[in-house]
Amino acid sequence: MKLLRRNVPWLLPVISILLVAAFLFPLYWLVVTSFKTEAEIFATPQTWFPRTFHFESYTEQLSGSSFDIIAGFRNSIVISIGSLAISTSLAIPAAYGIARFRFPGRHLFVLLFLVTQMLPASLLLTPLFILFKHMGLIGPSYWSTILANATAGIPFSVIILRTYFTSLPKELEESAQIDGCNRWTTFVRIILPIAVPGVVVAAVFSFLFAWGDLIYGMTFIGKEQLRPITAGIYNFLGFQSTSWNNTMAFGTVSMLPVALLFIFVQRYIVSGLTNGAVKG
Amino acid sequence: MMRMKELRAGYLFVLPALVYMLFFVGYPIVDNVRLSLFDVNVMNLASGHQPYVGLDNYTALFNEGTIKLVLLHTFVFTAACLVLQFVIGLALALLFNLGFRMAQRLRGLVMISWLLPATITAMMFKFMFGSDGIVNDTLLRLHLIGSPIEWLVSSGLAMFTVVLANTWIGIPFNMILLSTAMTTIPRDIYESAAIDGATAVRRFFRITLPLLKPAILSLLVLGFIYTFKVFDLVLIMTHGGPVNATQMMSTYAYNLSFEQFKYSQGAAVSNVMFLVLLIVGVLYLKLLNREERE
Repeated sequence: MKLLRRNVPWLLPVISILLVAAFLFPLYWLVVTSFKTEAEIFATPQTWFPRTFHFESYTEQLSGSSFDIIAGFRNSIVISIGSLAISTSLAIPAAYGIARFRFPGRHLFVLLFLVTQMLPASLLLTPLFILFKHMGLIGPSYWSTILANATAGIPFSVIILRTYFTSLPKELEESAQIDGCNRWTTFVRIILPIAVPGVVVAAVFSFLFAWGDLIYGMTFIGKEQLRPITAGIYNFLGFQSTSWNNTMAFGTVSMLPVALLFIFVQRYIVSGLTNGAVKG
Repeated sequence: MMRMKELRAGYLFVLPALVYMLFFVGYPIVDNVRLSLFDVNVMNLASGHQPYVGLDNYTALFNEGTIKLVLLHTFVFTAACLVLQFVIGLALALLFNLGFRMAQRLRGLVMISWLLPATITAMMFKFMFGSDGIVNDTLLRLHLIGSPIEWLVSSGLAMFTVVLANTWIGIPFNMILLSTAMTTIPRDIYESAAIDGATAVRRFFRITLPLLKPAILSLLVLGFIYTFKVFDLVLIMTHGGPVNATQMMSTYAYNLSFEQFKYSQGAAVSNVMFLVLLIVGVLYLKLLNREERE
């Protein structure tokens, strides 16, 4: 093995690249299909690369139909940003409180957040549906979906931010208080600016949780034009004859933010995954 | 005095998030139990005249029998996914831990499948495993099969295909957690073992695996919880079909509540699922506690 690695140093990288390429093939296939014509999609043998690039599956859906790409994208963005805003603004102080104050019950709180993080959306779905119906939030409104999605973002954010705040040196707060800051101003002026990397992880995950949501969006939002892009895809697939290139165009568009976030905050995401999932 | 202020400040920081979770998570959990003990359907949802029926919803479900089948499916699905994800995740973690050029970057790329909305993954797999999809096309061209395979239409194969898609999502999670755990194993243990003449295979089974045991345990428990509640993926790929062959607890609950409008029976199914997750969750917390004490 060692001998092999010394004499053929390119072997491992090449094998790994091939493996990863095979693993990510579905993504390639998704994007490529969105640029094919319906006829080319079902040609045998199938073409591994489009003969010519067709943008019709994107442009056709930009307007006209009741549910177009722009509407779906906008709805998903509104829902994800809304739920991101709620979860980070509630989770940041909560995580700080648990990390820095010794009060009875704080271990129980950590436990509660840990458990709620694992609850399936389908468990909360029926009661939330009835609750929102009584509150008048079912129907042409984003609110029910935003509120429901934040229940996934909050516990996750609390757990990873708690680890983050605990790792910050205590002297920061002590010297700030000597300089005349109270608990709140210390938190806002001293701690928050340092905690930005941790907050970014929490925000990214809260965004991604809401971005990937299907069940809340399709159950709570009565008006089709207001549903997130995932619900649009679900509707597309429900028809007998699926128009695959159009569906794939939707898929490519909804993959875009994930890909962008991935490129820019990849190292944060890895740390978030390991901190949030294991340490607790 | 100082101490009281300290206490109050602590609670004030935590309170908003706690109240939110109690209202939007705590209340639904309790309400699910209430729903399952009453008869709530689309007719009496608004009027509020909902009769108390005790455990009738549960006995009706178990007498009818589908729930037993669905429970079995969900366990089979979860077990199959856990094994596949773990084995492939471990293999990739070992590969990328060899520390060659680009290893980090490539490992990062694999993460994408975990971050994608399950809706998209489901759509891609449905397309690729369609009767005239790329999988059949390739197998036909290689002359491995004579005629297209109905991946999602025949019941055994549908389960297999759904497991495959979910494994694709779960691999990065296993890989990253195992990689991280591997980096905590001190290098010199391996070096001294190598000097003593232990082969790579022997070192893996005698050093790596035993030292990874705590990480593996929590990985499997977490994986169980995340896999058991599968929803979007199955709903889109098979909608629980053909004839309930891939019906899972969550899709079954959804079907009862929002397609048949039997809210109470849907809630009852959710509670059975909750019970399973609760037992596994308690197990996980026990594990965490033991690790922290060690």
